[in-house]
Amino acid sequence: MTKVFTDGLSFALPLLIMAVGAIYSEKSGVTNLAVEGFQGFGAFIGALAAVLLMPHLDKSSQIPIYVAMLFAAVGGGVYACIHALLCINFKANQVISGVVVNILAVALTTFFTSAANTALAGTASNKFILGVSNRYSIPLLSKIPWIGGLFQKMYPFEWIIIGLVVFFWYLMYRTRYGMRLRACGENPQALDAAGGKVVRTRWIAVIISGALSGIGGICFAYSIMANYSPSIYMGYGYLAIAAMIFGNWSIPATVLVCLVFGIAKAGGQQLCIAMQLPGNYTDLFNMLPYILTMLLLIFFSKRNHPPQASGQPWDASRR
Amino acid sequence: MKEKKKGGLAGLLISDRWSNVTVSVLAVILMLLTSSLILLMMGKNPAVAFRSFLQGCGFWPKANYGGGSGMLSDLFDYLNILSPMMLAALSFIVAFKTGLFNIGISGQMLLSGFLATIMVGYLKDLSPWIAKPLVILIGAAAGGLAGALIGFLKYRFNIHEVVSTIMVNYIISYTTGFFINTRYVDMLTRSSRVCSPASRLTWTKVPVGGISCNIPLGIVIALLAVFVVKFIFDKTVFGFELKAVGTSRKCARYIGVNVQKSIILSMAFSGIFAGLAGVTYYLGYTNTIVPKTLPGMGYDSIAVALLGNSSPVGSIFASIVVTIFQSGANYMSSSIGVAKEIASLITGILLLYAACGEYMKELGRRRIEKAVDREIARMQEARIKEGPDISGRGAFRQAENASAAGRREQEERKDQKEGGEDR
Repeated sequence: MTKVFTDGLSFALPLLIMAVGAIYSEKSGVTNLAVEGFQGFGAFIGALAAVLLMPHLDKSSQIPIYVAMLFAAVGGGVYACIHALLCINFKANQVISGVVVNILAVALTTFFTSAANTALAGTASNKFILGVSNRYSIPLLSKIPWIGGLFQKMYPFEWIIIGLVVFFWYLMYRTRYGMRLRACGENPQALDAAGGKVVRTRWIAVIISGALSGIGGICFAYSIMANYSPSIYMGYGYLAIAAMIFGNWSIPATVLVCLVFGIAKAGGQQLCIAMQLPGNYTDLFNMLPYILTMLLLIFFSKRNHPPQASGQPWDASRR
Repeated sequence: MKEKKKGGLAGLLISDRWSNVTVSVLAVILMLLTSSLILLMMGKNPAVAFRSFLQGCGFWPKANYGGGSGMLSDLFDYLNILSPMMLAALSFIVAFKTGLFNIGISGQMLLSGFLATIMVGYLKDLSPWIAKPLVILIGAAAGGLAGALIGFLKYRFNIHEVVSTIMVNYIISYTTGFFINTRYVDMLTRSSRVCSPASRLTWTKVPVGGISCNIPLGIVIALLAVFVVKFIFDKTVFGFELKAVGTSRKCARYIGVNVQKSIILSMAFSGIFAGLAGVTYYLGYTNTIVPKTLPGMGYDSIAVALLGNSSPVGSIFASIVVTIFQSGANYMSSSIGVAKEIASLITGILLLYAACGEYMKELGRRRIEKAVDREIARMQEARIKEGPDISGRGAFRQAENASAAGRREQEERKDQKEGGEDR
């Protein structure tokens, strides 16, 4: 039971940070289906930085993880500029742009991973071996019965993510920029009339979205995958989008949704192990988050309130 | 015609007739330039690389051929992969015209391919005359049902089709993977057992002029499908209603279109083509299913549809271009030693440029506007130089008229353009 909470949280938090990224983009009025591409590309840059750094450090050193997270954020943010450019300045169809960005990310990272491996190690492997981050338990909290599992064997990045989510919640709901951002997604004309800059607000939001997704991606690479390979495109970016929709574009609600997803996934795996089923059956349990998403969407999609201007390119001359 | 004379490329970009074609051609040219640059940076000769892509597809003779194969067999193999690509692009187009994004083509392909394989492909002693139509029927039905489900979820529960198709993709991928791994796996290849020749949509090893070719049936289906889609959208009320829903849902409801029915039917229709793509891919091209792997074609077809400006006929040309890179990648990789992943990179770059289409058109529009402005400015200058004598006044009036005419023309064109968009 404790393992369900431990694993669930370590899956839920990277998902959450991607969902928060997606919320930023959508709240500013840019439909974001590109989370999958952002997280993969960000993770690629982060993993590349870690792989370049690792030979110079001690084997058990944990520094590469933090460097990788930083670079993943930068890489994701820079890559998000493509989406921002297409959607905001070029006025392309935003759903199409998201799909394009995703396809391009898969192609770019797959190609350059093997190119980088050829250059570094001489073998055309499509993987960067990263290893798994260390885990730490919190002394007192982890002894609590039932929910103690939430505080056991935590990855350090989980704390970073929690900090980031709090910060970005504050930025969105308690600052002037956050209010402008939300106005930008609901009624950009009003923002423009009030003297805000729609284009700049949206650009910043999309870049934040890319950076946060990149962090989410590298955290997956350092936890459940233990390496960087094209299998990072597992659809977790889309799962984050589903979490955002189900969370009705609000950060606190999305936190809960992500926790449910994480616990459902970890619970499924533990159930499979507990029932001692053969390996093939894990496939059926791996499906659980997706099925759960569908069911939840069926029950909760009706009442949704997406940002009004999301998906529409901003044109100063239109009403 | 007048516009064309006026502005060259910019004129082409904003002309009603050629605008979309120009954008696609420009995207292809830009893609070729960019990928040449990448190849040059890797120290390869782009011309050789592009030639080897063509050689891999049977458009250009290779240096030497293995026993029993020739250029024609390469060409038929190319057609074999081209047909599912065209069908998948059609699938995207049908949904896109109704304002829906069918991202689930991959899943629908996998589902229909899987069902057709286990229901017909593994039956023994079936006449090919029964088996092949049955495969096509099952493929269409499975894809259509999967698509209709998405449409139903969209209108009944307001679930965005992009999210639901992606979830369904993964559910299909895991479910079929589970059944293949537990029941239909070939222990040697780790993918599903091959299906019987009777049910396969490709006639394998047909001797044509001394070389053995794999002749695809799919290409006939694909070409037929293109014209069916074109007919439906151009000539039928049903097609018009779908387009109306795609342009403006409110407006469609106002003119009495049943929007909900249209959404479901459009997705079902889209699913049917995805299903056909699935059977031509899994029972024609590969003849086996790798478990838990969604075909990348489902996403590449979006590129094709976008490049073909979501017109059925345009998608023929677009899929020809995209498939050359996908299909020629293996030969290119083995002959000049560039990782074959570059094919998907090239597709991605192409897609990026195609997505910039609106912007290219706008650039063209701006250029023409600037040219008109320059003309007006020149005339006004001439007016000032002439001075206030009588003949000058005539010139002034002339310039005034000309500039007014220029502006009027510009505005008319803009109206036309906007009218076109509204349509």
